[in-house]
Amino acid sequence: MTPPDDAAPGASPVSEVFAADAEVGRHLAAVDWAATPLGPPEEWPQSLRTAVSILLSSKFSMWMAWGPELTFFCNDAYRRDTLGQKYPWALGRPAREVWAEIWDDIGPRIATVLTTGRATWDQALRLFLRRSGYVEETYHTFSYSPLHDDAGLVVGMLCVVSEETERVIGERRMATLRDLGSDPSVVRTEQEMLDFAGAQLGLNPHDLPFTLTYLFEDGAGARLAAATGVPAGHPLAVPSPSADRDAPWPVDEPARGESVLVPLDGARYPDPPSGAWAEPPTHALALPLLRQGGAPYGFMVAGLNRYRPLDEGYRSFLELVAGHVAAGISGARSYRAQQRRAEELAELDHAKTTFFSNVSHEFRTPLALIMGPVEELTSRLAAADPELREDLDVIHRNGLRLGKLVNTLLDFSRIEAGRMEARYEPVDLAAVTAELASVFRSAVERAGLRFEVDCPPLPEPVYVDRGLWEKVVLNLLSNALKFTFEGSVAVTVRSGDGEAVVTVEDTGIGVAAEEMPRLFERFHRIENARSRSHEGSGIGLALVKELVTLHGGGIDATSAEGAGTRFTVRLPFGSAHLPADAVVPATGSDAPSGTADPYVREALRWLPGDGASAGPGAVTPAGDPDVGARTASPDDAAWVLVADDNADMREYLTRLLRGAGYRVDTVQDGRQALDAVRRHAPDLVVSDVMMPGLDGLALVGALRADPRTASVPVLLLSARAGQEASIEGLRAGADDYLVKPFAAAELLARVRAAIELARLRGHHARWRAALVDSLQEAFFVCDEDGTVIEINRAFTDILGYGPEGLPYEAVEPWWPDAGSASGAQAQATAAFHRLVAETRGTQTLPVRHRDGHQLWISAAFSRVRDPDTGRTVVVGTFRDVTAEHYAVQRDSALAALSTRLSGATGLADALHGALDELKKLWQARRVLAAVFGQGGDGGAATLVSTEKSLTWQELAPEERAALTALRQRPLLTPIAVGSGAGTLLEHPDGPLALWVDPGESRPFTGDDQLLLSLLAGHLAQGLARAQQIDQQRETAIALQRAILGPSRLPNGFAVAYEPATPPLEVGGDWYDTVALPDGRIGIIVGDCVGRGLEAATVMGQLRSACRALLLQDGGPAQVLLALDRFAVGVPGALCTTVFCGVLDPTTGELRYSSAGHPPGVLAGPDGTVTLLEDGRSLPLAVRPGTPRPEGTCTIPPRATLLLYTDGLVERRRRPLSVGIDLAGAALVAARDVVFGDLAAHVMDRMAPEDGYDDDVALLLYRHPAPLEVSFPAESSRLAVVREALRDWLGRCDLPPRTVQNVLVAAGEACANAIEHGHREAPGAPVTLRAEAFADTLRLSVSDTGRWKTPRPELNPHRGRGVHLMRALMQDVTITPGPVGTTVDMHTRIV
Amino acid sequence: MTTPLTLTAGRRPDGTAQLTAVGEIDMSNAEVLADSLRGTSGRIVLDLTRVQYLDSAALNVLFQHADRLEILAGALLAPVLSISGIADLATVRTSP
Repeated sequence: MTPPDDAAPGASPVSEVFAADAEVGRHLAAVDWAATPLGPPEEWPQSLRTAVSILLSSKFSMWMAWGPELTFFCNDAYRRDTLGQKYPWALGRPAREVWAEIWDDIGPRIATVLTTGRATWDQALRLFLRRSGYVEETYHTFSYSPLHDDAGLVVGMLCVVSEETERVIGERRMATLRDLGSDPSVVRTEQEMLDFAGAQLGLNPHDLPFTLTYLFEDGAGARLAAATGVPAGHPLAVPSPSADRDAPWPVDEPARGESVLVPLDGARYPDPPSGAWAEPPTHALALPLLRQGGAPYGFMVAGLNRYRPLDEGYRSFLELVAGHVAAGISGARSYRAQQRRAEELAELDHAKTTFFSNVSHEFRTPLALIMGPVEELTSRLAAADPELREDLDVIHRNGLRLGKLVNTLLDFSRIEAGRMEARYEPVDLAAVTAELASVFRSAVERAGLRFEVDCPPLPEPVYVDRGLWEKVVLNLLSNALKFTFEGSVAVTVRSGDGEAVVTVEDTGIGVAAEEMPRLFERFHRIENARSRSHEGSGIGLALVKELVTLHGGGIDATSAEGAGTRFTVRLPFGSAHLPADAVVPATGSDAPSGTADPYVREALRWLPGDGASAGPGAVTPAGDPDVGARTASPDDAAWVLVADDNADMREYLTRLLRGAGYRVDTVQDGRQALDAVRRHAPDLVVSDVMMPGLDGLALVGALRADPRTASVPVLLLSARAGQEASIEGLRAGADDYLVKPFAAAELLARVRAAIELARLRGHHARWRAALVDSLQEAFFVCDEDGTVIEINRAFTDILGYGPEGLPYEAVEPWWPDAGSASGAQAQATAAFHRLVAETRGTQTLPVRHRDGHQLWISAAFSRVRDPDTGRTVVVGTFRDVTAEHYAVQRDSALAALSTRLSGATGLADALHGALDELKKLWQARRVLAAVFGQGGDGGAATLVSTEKSLTWQELAPEERAALTALRQRPLLTPIAVGSGAGTLLEHPDGPLALWVDPGESRPFTGDDQLLLSLLAGHLAQGLARAQQIDQQRETAIALQRAILGPSRLPNGFAVAYEPATPPLEVGGDWYDTVALPDGRIGIIVGDCVGRGLEAATVMGQLRSACRALLLQDGGPAQVLLALDRFAVGVPGALCTTVFCGVLDPTTGELRYSSAGHPPGVLAGPDGTVTLLEDGRSLPLAVRPGTPRPEGTCTIPPRATLLLYTDGLVERRRRPLSVGIDLAGAALVAARDVVFGDLAAHVMDRMAPEDGYDDDVALLLYRHPAPLEVSFPAESSRLAVVREALRDWLGRCDLPPRTVQNVLVAAGEACANAIEHGHREAPGAPVTLRAEAFADTLRLSVSDTGRWKTPRPELNPHRGRGVHLMRALMQDVTITPGPVGTTVDMHTRIV
Repeated sequence: MTTPLTLTAGRRPDGTAQLTAVGEIDMSNAEVLADSLRGTSGRIVLDLTRVQYLDSAALNVLFQHADRLEILAGALLAPVLSISGIADLATVRTSP
């Protein structure tokens, strides 16, 4: 195949046949036509000559074949788009030879055209061309139509073709990317993710004949994790390729993040799978699965489509696929890690709390059983062998130590669980602290140290829990003494800035600097430190810190090794920082309680010459009947409670009764007796009648009134003799009555009788009580009013309310109040009404523990009749289901968040939605999310909040500080500060600090924190996915814009396309303009039914067809008629609406036809609005073959035409005509808007408040089109320019005088540009622009030169020109600039 | 294409010199008009009734000979002639 010589143009007289295109014509002329069946061109029939010249003059891609051998011709567009390397060889050859490789496809079609004379139409037909040196997969939309000779016989065919390879392949790849992103589930494992991705990749065997996904293993090469298009066991699907030479796939380069093109030749690549193709791929590409900021996860091997070049598009498609798989792996792995971490944290926390709590309780019971008997023994053996007594002392002291330790541990577990029941009362902190210190004085001084206590009174009281404050001071003192061997220990109390400052300072061994950070850490002990004792658990200082924090204060320590340590405690004055319900009035006692004793005793034991016996304070604590006076007796001994205000009498009675084998407790008055009995009913109460406060008779009355204590026998003692007194006592309900003085034997006899009688009588009741108390579930009895009259121990354990408070009248204190989380009160009220009204039932409801925290209980109750009293009571049990409740809440919160995230339409939406969910979950005041950019400069963050308008700057400084501080924390670790809590998670734009502010009344518990951390992990995952959705959307829009409209519009046209607001989908609206060969312009605006890629595809096909039809010289009605037939064969094209018009831009004449499309709007210069309502018929493909009508109109000068799709005007609950009227009004209002801004202006004005919910295509034309003339700066060009301007002005329908004024003014400006602007550069371009508005005319003349400042005195002539311009026009502005001068002028049209 | 202009010299019935211009006058051909005017001495009647366009370059020429010019012009040129001030120096007759 020898290409013809590049013959000299114009050498042959026949070249005029080919004159329409210089380039292709030259090559056609060089063909040796005489050697073809067509003969030399000068002998060609007229029909052939015409066909060739039409072909060459068309800008649309075409080829034709003529004569018996179907000799091949083509035009320049075809050469460029399709022919490739076959040009110019193909010219004049038989078509069969030119297109040998596709003759099987096209031959029969050409034969059909030639034999039947009917045209063919093929949409996106796949053809394998060999035009670039390889067999190439291509797609073409084309039509073959017959060509007739002069006699009317069909002798050839014309093909109008547009190549659609890029579009078809682009859509195929786009579909794969979209499918990859269509994974509906939020969370999946790595393998599930890979399986899903594999299934999607397998659906595109064209671009991905096969894929192999390898993941790198830690230090052990790579393993095959997924494959598509490759059968298992195929030699190319090696399970673990290594870095050696024989492995088919490279490992090193992908590991470094590089892609490698692998030729699939040689024995190493036997039989590559061919996917959708007949032939196997020749190459594969190995792409790294990139990890942000790390080594790749692995790599993907993709077999390549051998029929497409590996161009930028193909490569970026493969990179996007690999990127998607990499993102999926990243997501799956980080989710797995986050989940594991959250689970571990939860388990650990739970186990720890349970352990502390259990151990402490388990210790206390045996301890009580050791200490009681030891104290009993000590008193019984007062006169015994000193050695025995010493042994007892040792046991006693160590028991105290153990008790102290257990109590400390219990304090910890209470603090951990948030159940520390502190009672803050106002105290004189100086006095209390000095008093506590004094307890230690003897111990300190005995150690040979100075003890300096300096506690002047403070200006105001400090709120402390006395018991807890004692622990703080005693621990600090004990610590000081333990580590100080010489010098002093000093205690001071001072008033600071709004706070009390307490210091405990010693001159001891000090603490090494590296140990300081861990000083307050639990169980941390400094090894090898010299101290007075090696005893210690390492929790003293940790407890101190917890307790000070509980008081709203702070503690810090300074120390120098060898010089001493100073602890400083700061407590705020007042009570504002403390929970209001824990603040109580002052009790007025400054005396240290028994707490101090174990500390001092322990300290004394450290000193040389054990002085335990010399320690301060009595061994026997007093005041608590449970622990106090109860003495060792056999467990089954009867228990007698003695109430008498006289201590001697109490001692006498105690001695007497203990001697008889009873267990005895004593109290000082009736009130204490009542409390003691309610706590635990004794076998007998022996009470004096005359007592302060509640006397004996009132005590009997109170006991009898309470069903729980009604059966406790009471023996009254009185100094008042006489029948009446005893009758009074017995009437009150006493079981017996004894007058002082009495004989011991008589007392014991009466006691024994009363107890035995009561035991007999009460056996059943006690059995019942024991049974009820042993229940693991809480038990209660209510009377008819709902007043709780009996409870068991579990009840007290769960709710914190003990039997001493009985009866609890409705509404009981554990019901949630109005301040609780909303809904809790309503639920509880409903539950209460059921309790009173129904016979039986079960329900779960919220209640409040005595310490204020919220619980959930599951209660069952039943209505029964009390056989003794005949009254109806309600008996119920319940258990604590808080943990289960929170587990359910957690699951539903996760589900709600997942739903919200999966429905999100993008990153911003996902985050907003998630914050709303979190706010709802905790009924929070607000939820904040601060995103810190990747810069990490610690400055401002982007704030997203449930309060929409809140900005970062508007946050309080401490809120900003709290959010910023979160950045320093590990990811997903919850932090509670104040009443709120926060955590840090990953946002695609950088670290995100999440903060939940639950508001005033609700504490954020450990369970809440755990839930927050779980949800945050979930959120991070969801945000990563939402970002992918965002990216996909951007790709979709880019695709839509690529399919849409010509990038260069004819002059005078403006267009706009607006996608619907998110959730955004690609739509089916389009506009198009086609420059027709005769200078007229085809205009199309159409709207396909539906959305999404399908609609876009239909749109693309209709658009191409419509263009082709317009170019075939059809009128609008004919075009639509032909389009009808075409649309019948395109699935989804039914009911498409189209406006098709042909405009003559010189006259403004418009012929148009509308297939069911909303009417065009024409706004005249005088503000009238006309609708183009003629030429209307049905939408496409509804009645194919029915002739379509046509309308005509002449667009008046300075009028504007608007064509649009219904998204512009259609709104819910509004007639379409209203929208069209509004569009007309918008157009009239925009009459003076510069044309370039007009489309955006109309779109803005018509936009609904929250954006368009349908896509909108818009096309505008203003008549006449603005004029733009560029000419070289030579005076000889002035006349030509003037003529063009005169012609244009003529089309603007202006008064003759205005025309002349404009001509002169423009002429002067042009003359200036020629004379001044280009003095140094004659011939440089000058540009004249003119645009007509409804009632003004604007002109500008710009050059590239610089004007001199006008100096009329030097150049009166030019000055005259400027003067003329100003006189003839309304406004003239001369703007000199560095790159040229522009004269702007405008005048009103009257 | 240069600006079209035809100049015809003649005498009025009263013997006054007359120059009749047809076409357009701008900076590209104002010098042609100037040459013709310079070639004639004494009073001269300049007939511009068939001139469609006249710019400041042409006016500049007219100003140089204002004192001996009698200008005939159509309505089209009237505004330019009056705005430029030539009507104040030379005799200008405009026909509708």
